[in-house]
Amino acid sequence: MPKSRIVIVLWQLAILAAVLVIWQWGFDWSKALLPKAYVPKILDPYFVAKPSLIWQSFLRLGCLDDSGGFAACIKGNDNNLWLATLITLKNTWWGFLFGSASGIAAGLILGRSDFLARVFGPYIVAFNSIPRIALVPLVILIFGLGDLSKIATAWLVVFFVVFFNTFEGARAVDRDQIAAARLMGASEFIVLRTVVVPSALAWVFASLLPAVSFALIGVIVGEFIGAERGLGKLIIEAEARANASEMMVAIFIMMFVGILLAVVVRSLQSYLLRWQPQFERSM
Amino acid sequence: MMAVPGPSPSPSTRLALAREDRHADAARTRIAVQGLTKRFTSTGREFVAVDDVSFEVKQGEFVALLGPSGCGKSTILNMVAGLLPRSGGRILIDDDTVETGRVNRKVGYVFQRDTLFPWRTVEQNIGYGLEIAGIHKAARAGRVASAIDKAGLAGFAQSFPRMLSGGMRQRVALMRTLILEPEILLMDEPFGALDTHTKLEMHKTLLEIWERERQTVLFVTHDLGEAITLASRIILLSARPGRLKEDFEIALLRPRDPVSLRESAEFGRLYSHIWHSLGEEFRRTRVD
Ligand SMILES: Nc1ncnc2c1ncn2[C@@H]1O[C@H](COP(=O)(O)OP(=O)(O)OP(=O)(O)O)[C@@H](O)[C@H]1O
Ligand SMILES: [Mg+2]
Repeated sequence: MPKSRIVIVLWQLAILAAVLVIWQWGFDWSKALLPKAYVPKILDPYFVAKPSLIWQSFLRLGCLDDSGGFAACIKGNDNNLWLATLITLKNTWWGFLFGSASGIAAGLILGRSDFLARVFGPYIVAFNSIPRIALVPLVILIFGLGDLSKIATAWLVVFFVVFFNTFEGARAVDRDQIAAARLMGASEFIVLRTVVVPSALAWVFASLLPAVSFALIGVIVGEFIGAERGLGKLIIEAEARANASEMMVAIFIMMFVGILLAVVVRSLQSYLLRWQPQFERSM
Repeated sequence: MMAVPGPSPSPSTRLALAREDRHADAARTRIAVQGLTKRFTSTGREFVAVDDVSFEVKQGEFVALLGPSGCGKSTILNMVAGLLPRSGGRILIDDDTVETGRVNRKVGYVFQRDTLFPWRTVEQNIGYGLEIAGIHKAARAGRVASAIDKAGLAGFAQSFPRMLSGGMRQRVALMRTLILEPEILLMDEPFGALDTHTKLEMHKTLLEIWERERQTVLFVTHDLGEAITLASRIILLSARPGRLKEDFEIALLRPRDPVSLRESAEFGRLYSHIWHSLGEEFRRTRVD
């Protein structure tokens, strides 16, 4: 590891430690040292919990220190942390997958057909102007409180992001590359498969990373508004009991879910776009 | 050289300095361009880019289409390739009328711009035409490997285009076209973006291939030295709108060596002779 990298990692660890220490003890210290009016509310554990409390909540919600044993605890709680995480992860993944697949397909078709692009253009612009979150209650009304409504919400959010990027990508394909392929005997379909898709792929991927976060946002909002299970539901329940540390547990788990999905997309991207300089591996 | 009656017959200058190209004179006509015209509308105004151009290219001939920048050389070539609709006139390839959008398997095209597929390796770029023709990977491997060898790209089979120099990329582009064994080769300033040294190397490569395989070539360029080095005939176009101006036979001995040729007296004489005509066109372009 080069020296500059060690320095960077050391700084990162130092900042993390400082944040944790202030979060854990900052409120107590300032209460002891400062006049009452100057005690920072932002550090009040009632609002933001503190690392030790969050850790305890994590162990409890995750059935990790239950006297009755892990299995019995999991069985006793329909919305335990692990099941909730699994549900949210699963719905995010499917919403992301359907959303991006349909966005890519629609983007390619409209991007390659001037006629269809002009026919559907105004409708897409109009629909895209609706704040997607406003549709969530409607989606839940239609698809119910189960997983389907969460997948549909994530789909709604992901589709347009991926669609617009794919559309632009399909339009930006080098016309001479298409002509070259045609002159070498490529049919319309082969041009699409071997020229349009690979060259639009960089555009597609530029939208897939934000799309993953959007899918997660869609699912969580869906769970806030009406759900039986999931991390969003966990947060709403904790809010009802004014339990900040349980909310924090769910928030941290979401962060890890988000990171996990982003890593999957990123490694797919760096493989498929390995011809681009920024994804070059040592050769 | 005019086979078809047209309103603008061109004077044909013969500069027979040595005997060559028995093939060309005796052979049949492969490309016939008759009264070709192209009008473009840009910013609402129509202008003539190519004006009533007629010429023929015979089997095994290497014809250079020479003219100042913007005179319509690419436009002519694109119409011959069927990439661009004509505004008037006819183009025949082997007595078949060229139709826009219909691909002729006998014709290969090398672009002015770099049109390699950046997401494909050198090997995959060169093998592209064979791959989409449904030829199995094992069956095309040998042909691709020998094409890579011929182009002097050994060791770069797995490289992506962006890792190559401009000259190497153009070699890949050339091989990608030649591997399909076209009988007629259309080339649009394929070496225009290269430095002088690399350009000479490419001339050598191209001449070696052409002297072995004797494709019928229509080669667009605005570089007179390049045209003399490569071609058996030079068709000179006027500045915009492109009209046929003159038709020179380049009867230099073959095989030609691009470097020593440039030092020879014949090259110099041809150069200054054609330069005189070309010079007028360049001056006209500047006035425009
Ligand atoms: N699609 C188009 N629409 C409008 N004008 C065009 C179009 N294509 C070419 N032209 C014009 O036609 C003229 C001839 O263009 P062309 O590309 O054939 O020139 P060229 O001889 O190949 O030049 P160069 O040597 O610079 O490549 C130019 O003035 C150009 O601006
Ligand atoms: Mg040109």
